[in-house]
Amino acid sequence: MGEYALLYILFAPFAGALALILVSNRQPMLVRGIAASAAFVSLVASIYLFYAYDPVKGGFQFIQKFEWSRQLGISLHLGVDGIGTPLVLASAILLFTGIFVSWHIRDRAKEFYIWLLILAAATIGVFMSLDLFFLYFFYEMSVIPMYLLLGMWGSHTKRYLEMTDTEGLKLRDSVGYIFNFGSNSKEYAAMKLVLFLSAFAVAALMGILLIYKYAGLNTFDILVLREHANLMNIPVLGTTLDKIIWVLVFFGFASIAPLWPLHSWSPVGHAAAPAATSMLHAGVLMKLGHFSIIRVAFEILPETTREMMPIAAVLCMFSIVYGGFVAFYAKDTKYVIGYSSSSHMGYVFLGMAALNYISLSGAVIYMFAHAMATGMLFAMAGWVYDQTHTRDLPSLGGLSNKMPFISGCFVVGCMASIGMPGTVNFIAEIMIIVGSWEKYPLQVIVAVLGIVLTMAYLFKMMRSLFYGPMNQQYSHAHDAVSAVDRLPLLVMIAVSVGFGIFPMHLYDVVRSGVDPLIARITHVVPVAQSGDGLGAKSEATIPVVRDHVPLVANNPVALTPDPSRGHE
Amino acid sequence: MTFTLTLSFADLLLLLPEIVLTCWLCLVVIVDFAFPRLPKEQLAILSITGLLATLGCLVWFDVTHVSGALFGNMFVLDRMAIFFKIFIVGSTALVILASIQYVERFRFFRGEYYVLVVMSALGMMFMSSANDLLSLFVSLEFSTLGFYILVGYLREDLASNEAGLKFFILGVFAAGLLAYGISLVYGETGKLVFSDMNLSATPGAIIGFLLIFAALGFKIGAVPFHSWIPDTYHGAPTPVTAYLSIAPKGAAFAILLRIFFVALASFKPMWVILLVAVSILSMTYANIVAIAQRNIKRLLAYSGIAQVGNVLIGLAAGTKMGNDAIMFYLLAYLFANLGAFAVVIAVSHAIGSDDIDDYNGLGRRSPFLAFSMLVFLLSLAGVPPLAGFIGKLYIFIAAIKEGLYTLITVGLINIVISMYYYMIVVKKMYINEPTNPSPVTISGPMKAVVYVGLAGTLVIGIYPQPFIDWVVGATLMFSNLPVPSAIVTPSLPPFGG
Repeated sequence: MGEYALLYILFAPFAGALALILVSNRQPMLVRGIAASAAFVSLVASIYLFYAYDPVKGGFQFIQKFEWSRQLGISLHLGVDGIGTPLVLASAILLFTGIFVSWHIRDRAKEFYIWLLILAAATIGVFMSLDLFFLYFFYEMSVIPMYLLLGMWGSHTKRYLEMTDTEGLKLRDSVGYIFNFGSNSKEYAAMKLVLFLSAFAVAALMGILLIYKYAGLNTFDILVLREHANLMNIPVLGTTLDKIIWVLVFFGFASIAPLWPLHSWSPVGHAAAPAATSMLHAGVLMKLGHFSIIRVAFEILPETTREMMPIAAVLCMFSIVYGGFVAFYAKDTKYVIGYSSSSHMGYVFLGMAALNYISLSGAVIYMFAHAMATGMLFAMAGWVYDQTHTRDLPSLGGLSNKMPFISGCFVVGCMASIGMPGTVNFIAEIMIIVGSWEKYPLQVIVAVLGIVLTMAYLFKMMRSLFYGPMNQQYSHAHDAVSAVDRLPLLVMIAVSVGFGIFPMHLYDVVRSGVDPLIARITHVVPVAQSGDGLGAKSEATIPVVRDHVPLVANNPVALTPDPSRGHE
Repeated sequence: MTFTLTLSFADLLLLLPEIVLTCWLCLVVIVDFAFPRLPKEQLAILSITGLLATLGCLVWFDVTHVSGALFGNMFVLDRMAIFFKIFIVGSTALVILASIQYVERFRFFRGEYYVLVVMSALGMMFMSSANDLLSLFVSLEFSTLGFYILVGYLREDLASNEAGLKFFILGVFAAGLLAYGISLVYGETGKLVFSDMNLSATPGAIIGFLLIFAALGFKIGAVPFHSWIPDTYHGAPTPVTAYLSIAPKGAAFAILLRIFFVALASFKPMWVILLVAVSILSMTYANIVAIAQRNIKRLLAYSGIAQVGNVLIGLAAGTKMGNDAIMFYLLAYLFANLGAFAVVIAVSHAIGSDDIDDYNGLGRRSPFLAFSMLVFLLSLAGVPPLAGFIGKLYIFIAAIKEGLYTLITVGLINIVISMYYYMIVVKKMYINEPTNPSPVTISGPMKAVVYVGLAGTLVIGIYPQPFIDWVVGATLMFSNLPVPSAIVTPSLPPFGG
């Protein structure tokens, strides 16, 4: 079974969706059972994948290659490296927990699970594609399920201008109102999401087509292109071709990430989506952006990436600060979490922009950690909404009496989101901050302030949801008592805290993916390697100083040709 | 000009599909008159049997690589012609299957309906083999003749009458342009067969070919010549609209390919500009106007114009790969568009309306129809994993190898615009609540057509390799066209060097 793990992970949800077509909505337990077992197969296989991935060997593993079209040079080329592996695991966890979070859906449950499974399978497909065509194929495939999930099972948001705070004042945060043209309906959110993502996806497609043409290799295979594509120094339109491709690919994919100022579809989408969809959306769909940038821009255009990545470093500051402030002023639980997600994605961009071993590893771990933390928060916001049918923060309060378990988990979720020590978010954040400090001190200061901001809005939301006087209108609300309702939260907490305490395997896996990438981009190899783990790789490149093993390698040395290798 | 008409039996074999279909056509007419009490469904089944027999011949030809030319090269049977004939015959059979229920609306001449449909198919089969200007004119008019009648078939319906009249007047006008163009080209070159023409860029020849292009542009509905499309599609009986939106486009593209890639191959730099302009206009205009449509048939009409714009990107590429991409795209378009029209026919039969607003809540009233419509519209929009996506990508790849960046950029932007109006229909079907929650039922033959559409759209989208092989094999005679530079495998830099 081992070498086919990727096929199980990818096709189990598709198979589940196909099986669900044959089942009737009149058998709700069967419908849920099929969906849950498909997700379970995927989850088990991805846990196996995560632990069977060999970080010492590194590189792409579990490779599967099937020729798909000879004439067009497309093959279904699957494989994961240290960056894809944790994200595949995160997707599988969120799919599995998402199915339990949406256990009580009554309306057209079968269709809901079908689209949810397709959405998750498509995102998983992106994380394991080694072919530009299939990367785009799965990427674009994830958009339409989002539309239907938002539109059919989503909820409208109260109109901003009608919302008042406790003193009866009109709200100040009309920013969202302006950007949404006064409409907060779920149809609007869904359409905005589709058009926004499609518009930027075709920009990325243009970039991919340009790579295909100018590489001249008649292939979309990323592994071939990164070795043999020579896209540098072709003058076009007063600049060079590689820069144009890079901009197309970067902004094409950054829109889903979402990088400021391309983020405006995202919080609206979060707010309209049902809980499980928000979880997948914030947890993994947004990471498609970072991941695709890493896969396409970093792998194929390393030199250009080094030159152009400061753009991301500038924009990520705006992401962090803007998202944080809007989250602070937002009065809707899902807007708070949605803007918080888009703010936190700025940290990932910061980690990517700094382009060194620690910061990029931190960015990848942050993607994984954020998936768990934000998944928890959205699951609980969804629970509160299901109980009270409102997401209006000023009108809620004091729910901790009614739902002690949920409020307890919410505290953990907030802690994870803030990055408390003991959660995996802490490790990721500290790596991003330490790794980026030398190159981008200003951004790091902003990021640290962003953490304070995160604390502020999450505590504010926690207080207005669970503490303070209770609105008697919601006295019927009750806690998550059954195992089905508690399971998803407990799983996510366990993953978040578990990797927070034992991060070494995760770190090793991520490093094994990040190391060759950074070495290609910066021509710098890590100076310090511990004797075990990654030692095998460093021996081949430079002599390792074994008596000095710092935890953080931010003093890179220039790559010198190894005399032992000789000339070819 | 004299022909030596020495036809051997082996030569007649090349005409076998046409002969089979002609005989069968006569058979259908005779049966219709001889047994007036015969239920008309039987006639439909009879016609479909004949079309399937023809299809069998064509598939046999394709497998055994039968090819040749007749009548002094007026009629060629190569694999491209066979491809388009399969395309036409297959779509005709599906259209007849989709008509069975609809024909009950006609008060008179129900039997003749099938005869006319098959007759047009015959004309279009000759069109896809036409290799000179005369046979082009004759076969084109022959196929259009049937359509003139079919479009106005709902005699009590004013919209249908208007559609028929409009189509007729503009169609005859286009025929006049075609005849004038042909005479100009003949006067300049003294030749009729495409491959014999030794063209030089004289004003007469240029104007002549522009006129011929205009007439064919009328057939495919590219933008400056599109004005008949929305009204005709709207007013015509829906199965005829479906037919009109697919088969004539295939036949006309067969001729366009022969004209541009054979007769005008050496003038590529000139006609590329023309095609780029027409393509950009078609896509942009049709997609923007489609947003405002309130009637699903008009929406699909404009979407069809936009799809033609997309196909023209492949023609503008002017390479063998562009040619392959066109044929592949038409195949994807056949299933998606025919499927979409089948859903429209089924829905209008059940609720008696073609307004997009009446699709509200179709997802609840008939999950099958709504899901099928979703698949077809998304395939037209070009969303993976459906056939339309592969088709669009194929065309873009062919075009980018020729460096048509502006065209591709416009094409990509148009994907996004088209996504909007397709998603509007999806929204009405799935998100809006139905005003009348009664379930929508669907008859057996319609279900079969929808299933064929679904199967084609999904199979081509998920496993396109056999279809790509087919179209690539079908255009081998264009191998002499300029090969896109990137197909020639460049010498790879040595590994690790």
